Amino acid sequence: MQETKRKYVIPGDIVAEGNLKPLVNVFRNGNSIISTRIGITESSQDGAKVIPLSGVYFPRANDIVIGKILDHSSLSWSIDINSCFLAHLPAQDVFGRDFSPAQDDMGRQLSSGDIIVARIAIFDRTRDPILTIQDNDLGKIPTGELIKISPTRVPRLIGKRGSMIQTIEHATTTRITIGQNGIIVVSGKDKEGVTLAINAIHIVEVEAHTSNLTQRIKQLLNVPESEIESDDTQPSHEVNDTVTNADEFNSTETDKEGMINSNGSK
Amino acid sequence: MSISKKSPIIVENLRKKQMRESISAGKRLDDRGLDETRPIEIEVNVIKKASGSAWVKLGKTEVVAGVKVETGEPFEGLENSGALIITAEVLPIASPHIEPGPPDEETIELARVVDRGVRESEMLDLSKLVLVPGKIVYTIFVDCSIINVDGNLFDATSYAVVAALSSCKLPVFEIKDDQVVDTGKTQEPPITTTPVSVTTVKIGEYLLLDPNIEEEACMDARLTITTNSKGSIVAMQKGLKGYFTVDEVKGIAGKARTKGEDIRAKLQELIKIGK
Amino acid sequence: MVQSRSLIDEKGIRSDGRVIDELRDVKIEVGVVNNADGSALIEFGKNKIIAAVYGPREVHPKHMALSDRSVVRCRYHMSPFSTDTRKSPAPSRRETEISKVIREALEPALILEDYPRAAIDIFIEVLQADGGSRCAGITAAAVALADAGINMRDMVSACAAGKVDDKIVIDINDTEDKEGGADMPVAYMPNLEKITLLQLDGELNSDEFNKCLEEAIRGCLKVHEIQRSSLMEKYFGDEKGLKE
Repeated sequence: MQETKRKYVIPGDIVAEGNLKPLVNVFRNGNSIISTRIGITESSQDGAKVIPLSGVYFPRANDIVIGKILDHSSLSWSIDINSCFLAHLPAQDVFGRDFSPAQDDMGRQLSSGDIIVARIAIFDRTRDPILTIQDNDLGKIPTGELIKISPTRVPRLIGKRGSMIQTIEHATTTRITIGQNGIIVVSGKDKEGVTLAINAIHIVEVEAHTSNLTQRIKQLLNVPESEIESDDTQPSHEVNDTVTNADEFNSTETDKEGMINSNGSK
Repeated sequence: MSISKKSPIIVENLRKKQMRESISAGKRLDDRGLDETRPIEIEVNVIKKASGSAWVKLGKTEVVAGVKVETGEPFEGLENSGALIITAEVLPIASPHIEPGPPDEETIELARVVDRGVRESEMLDLSKLVLVPGKIVYTIFVDCSIINVDGNLFDATSYAVVAALSSCKLPVFEIKDDQVVDTGKTQEPPITTTPVSVTTVKIGEYLLLDPNIEEEACMDARLTITTNSKGSIVAMQKGLKGYFTVDEVKGIAGKARTKGEDIRAKLQELIKIGK
Repeated sequence: MVQSRSLIDEKGIRSDGRVIDELRDVKIEVGVVNNADGSALIEFGKNKIIAAVYGPREVHPKHMALSDRSVVRCRYHMSPFSTDTRKSPAPSRRETEISKVIREALEPALILEDYPRAAIDIFIEVLQADGGSRCAGITAAAVALADAGINMRDMVSACAAGKVDDKIVIDINDTEDKEGGADMPVAYMPNLEKITLLQLDGELNSDEFNKCLEEAIRGCLKVHEIQRSSLMEKYFGDEKGLKE
């Protein structure tokens, strides 16, 4: 059973004192662990961290992102993934190793303004992110309504093991594709369902840090009482303790947002 | 030299499709009708050190205008007129696509079009702002700082200038012993009319009033028309690479007049409340 | 500069009604510029200043990017209507110098190594100036940087102190700046207890200097409380303090 204590902090505030391990969005200064962001602290015997409530998207390898095709050179498409770096999708990823600019028409496959869901295959400190759409469920998104939310709220929107987003999808008969970069596409045959789903998403975005959010969303969507799970009494924000490639990436122990898959226990 | 350039904003094809479908059914993506303008909010006297000022919100587009008054030489050929100088700057805080630096051709066009609308309407009776004919006149500066861009800077900036001038208190200068002296008193500005700018854009074959930033990224042509309180057209400017037919222009002019009346009433109401 | 007239009356009241250790009213509103990644509007006495942050974002032109950290760009700019006498729209040497010292006041707080090959742009727009605008600008910019979610070691809070009528006073206004004996703006990281901006205009002996610096830092700490409450207000609304 983990013991977690939460506090609201701004940069420079003390998160915890003592021998705790600094995890993400914190650093050690003498005997104190200090926050580098506005957010909610979480400290337990495993360490201390801050879950940030603001920040633009900073890429990470293996993130699923939704991007917009801007242009293409003879070898790759350049893609806006709503971050400070331009992403690239190599032509070979789409056409295969035998790709030839003379024969394969890049513009026909993906043209300026198209939306794709992709995975960041490669990203490190020295170059722009390289994307791939090879995996299942990746590729061009032909229809749907596109909205943007703060990337820091994406974990809450997905929920524990996908529970929040699945609740919204089932109740509104929509399919919702979420990028870690805060871009979301909602598609569905029923226009009202799509609108309702979008309202629910915006509420989650604004109230991500509050308690009983799941219950309120279910009320909004008219989900029957019997389906309300025990996670309703959970604290507001599910967080994973295992941090991914982030640590090797940063020279300090600070990082962007936590990962999505949540721990089960409290 | 003016050079054609790529738009910094690429609208997603999904959104363009949504926009087309929506507009052909008479509604825009922000739920407005094609002829519907966004809500206007105005706060006057926000900059106490200026003789007049206004903070205007047209939807999410925001502009602050300030009036400063000095004395100086009249413009050449206008010896019996006060001088009116209107400037505009799109501040780098206003949008991710602005690079700080000297004003580009879009910003210069914006300032000149807004200036033309106000000047040609003769909103300020400049003949009343002369101290020594041919030598010393009032110089009225109206400087506009655009602080958030969400489309239709022409109309928003024009409303800010109109609100700032309508609500300002001009200093009273005198000549004493060959020197210009600020008497410390103030006077009402000599306002004769309320010019109203109305901008229409063309997307495909549809005409829309008061475009937001996404609609501007999809537009082919733009027409800004300023009318005075009598309903006469005092200034016009067509922009962008597209074109209008003669009928379209006549239709747009008619709407600029009728819509202009509504907006004029709204501006006057908001400015009076602020005062 | 030697003072010519008295700016504090016999009762110890200054030209704007304050006593010598009193700060002007400060109000901060977070997130006022819709398009920016982070922003704040500060009203510090009659100063009215907007700070907005875009970042981390792409560097243009690309060759200006640094391989191991982010580039910081900072612009302090005054609108023509912001001062008693209208200011020409062209950038002045004063604005250039202030842009530099502000950047150098904020940079130490930013963890730039977290954002290699990117840029963090800070824009400070003065809509109305009344003495101490660079301190107010720094204060608003730090709030805007936190609002933008940039990793920071600490907040940066700024306040000026000075000498008026041979007394050390806190938070110099425009009149005191122009006619007083000394003006010392200071920016301070409150938790790390480090000074990141320090300037002086005027003459102070050793005792006066120490007292002036202490007063300025006391002002910075008061300003920090206002930065904190404005951020808490925006992000946590009425729910303040601990949550279990």
